[in-house]
Amino acid sequence: MQYGENIRLALQGLVDHKFRSFLTMLGIIFGVASVITMLSIGEGAKREAIAKYQDLGVNNIIIREKSLSNEELEEIRAKFSPGLSIQDATVIKEIVPGVERIASQAEKNSEVRYNDKSVKSTVIGITPDFSAMMNYKVQKGYFINDKHYSERLKVCVLGAGVAASFFKNEDPIGQLVKIDDQWLEVIGVLESKSLFTETVGELAARDLNTDVYVPLSLFLNRFTRENVLTSEIQQITVQINKSDKLVEASKIINEILRRHHFNNDDYSIVIPFELLKQEEKERQIYNFLLGAIAAISLLVGGIGIMNIMLATVMERTREIGIRRAVGARKVDIMSQFVTESVAISITGGIIGVLFGIVLSLLVTLFTDITTFIQPYSVFIAFSFSVIVGVSFGYLPAKNAANLKPVDSIRYE
Amino acid sequence: MLIEIKDLKKNYSLGDAEIPVIHGINLNIEKNEYVAIMGPSGSGKSTLMNILGCLDTASSGHYYFNNVDVSTLDDDALSIMRNKEIGFIFQNFNLLPRLNAIQNVELPLIYTGTPGAERRERALQALDRVGLSDRINHKPSELSGGQRQRIAVARALITNPGILLADEPTGALDSKTGVEIMRLFEELHAEGNTIILITHEQEIANYALRNIFLKDGKIHSDRPNPLKVTIN
Repeated sequence: MQYGENIRLALQGLVDHKFRSFLTMLGIIFGVASVITMLSIGEGAKREAIAKYQDLGVNNIIIREKSLSNEELEEIRAKFSPGLSIQDATVIKEIVPGVERIASQAEKNSEVRYNDKSVKSTVIGITPDFSAMMNYKVQKGYFINDKHYSERLKVCVLGAGVAASFFKNEDPIGQLVKIDDQWLEVIGVLESKSLFTETVGELAARDLNTDVYVPLSLFLNRFTRENVLTSEIQQITVQINKSDKLVEASKIINEILRRHHFNNDDYSIVIPFELLKQEEKERQIYNFLLGAIAAISLLVGGIGIMNIMLATVMERTREIGIRRAVGARKVDIMSQFVTESVAISITGGIIGVLFGIVLSLLVTLFTDITTFIQPYSVFIAFSFSVIVGVSFGYLPAKNAANLKPVDSIRYE
Repeated sequence: MLIEIKDLKKNYSLGDAEIPVIHGINLNIEKNEYVAIMGPSGSGKSTLMNILGCLDTASSGHYYFNNVDVSTLDDDALSIMRNKEIGFIFQNFNLLPRLNAIQNVELPLIYTGTPGAERRERALQALDRVGLSDRINHKPSELSGGQRQRIAVARALITNPGILLADEPTGALDSKTGVEIMRLFEELHAEGNTIILITHEQEIANYALRNIFLKDGKIHSDRPNPLKVTIN
């Protein structure tokens, strides 16, 4: 029998019994929609996490000064810890194997002024390697380089937010801004960065777009610190050449710093990649659960199809008998009924895919959960619905094919 | 010889017991014969018809159709036999209610893999032959009993089968319409078709040229019909 004929018959069957077909499909529709929605929620969470950690550099180890009160700082200084220093960075670079780059950074909160405008900002003194390690990109001009650093040039790179609030129509490059009592020339503007919304270790959540970067040499030489007790630098970022050496390297770094800081616990070490892996692991359990729920709903959908198909076969015993009498072989009857259940499941699958996409969009729209629909998840959900149609249509179809023609043609 | 039946027996199993329905029948039917098989209910005429129509198989004995031993064929081969050699006409028409007239007539050709255009053309010819070419898009429910039976005849004719097997073809029709169907059979026979009628009505059997009377699973009598009625 021709497949085209089977498909035509199956579709006509769907149209003839619209309401019943729709009810039969509901299980598949919800199953497929939930698979797509749940996978999209899982994927959204994954992408968000990756983006977050990518900003911190996946091969980086971040050593951060702990934020301490003045009393605690006094106590630690009394115990001879100098706090994080450029010296620490130099030692780490010399001793720890596999260090590719290292960047020190000093920070202070300050007002940045341009003409009559001012913005509260975090001024960050950095070494030239910083931009490469953190994957920072400039939208205009260029980043601080070795020349600026070694010659302590009075230059700065503005975060996208700062630049936007100062310069509406003018070109920021070459303009002078004032930080504390220093006039600095703007040499670059960074691309806008996504909000750092979650605290990772000692790295507090903040808006990176309000940062202003200056050469560390200039920073240490020209800017007064908020407090005499403040450490020389606030952060050291270490880039390791292999991500599987991160944990090992961080242990060595810890040993070095412990000794240099006389056992004072005034710093913390964050490995973004390890945090990412850990989050991924936790999410896997969660994703597995979501997947299992979706799979169960598909299964229930399949049972629904089987139920209706079994009833249909009963109802159509006479039709089967007539078809057999005019020459249909068992395989013809079988393929007719399998095609019918596949038509139900594919139609349900298509509706389910659309419903799932809409549902994912609604989730993004009305909650702060990020979703991302990967094309393969649509493919998976759809193939599952076809598989469900074939496997749950098989038994009823087999029953239909095995009806004896002589009995079925006289069936009332 | 078109049909040759040798010592055919059929038993039905009812629990442990084997109930014999046909006790050993020998029967020959030539091409272009017009035979009526008669008998009271329980005589085995329906069982015989099922076996002749390849819907059922015998318990023992042989059934040769065009010298092919049908009793040795498997289910697929029997399906092909039904498709190509047997044209069924049933008492209750047995049309598919969801299909229209032409789709019902095309049905056997779907299972031979005939392309759609050719199917349609042959179905139109068959419908034309039974005088229903103006009703091709009607569903069975929109047609009268006589028209439905004509569609069934058209469906039976479409594969040019070796025999037309009609089981009480007028049983569900009023007598006037019944006579019209019998006239159609008369014409089909005149055109060279082999027709086997199964009936319990002597009146219907009288239209045939040969009457076989079954009783208790055996052939009670088999003779040319002396009372042959011709319809003009």
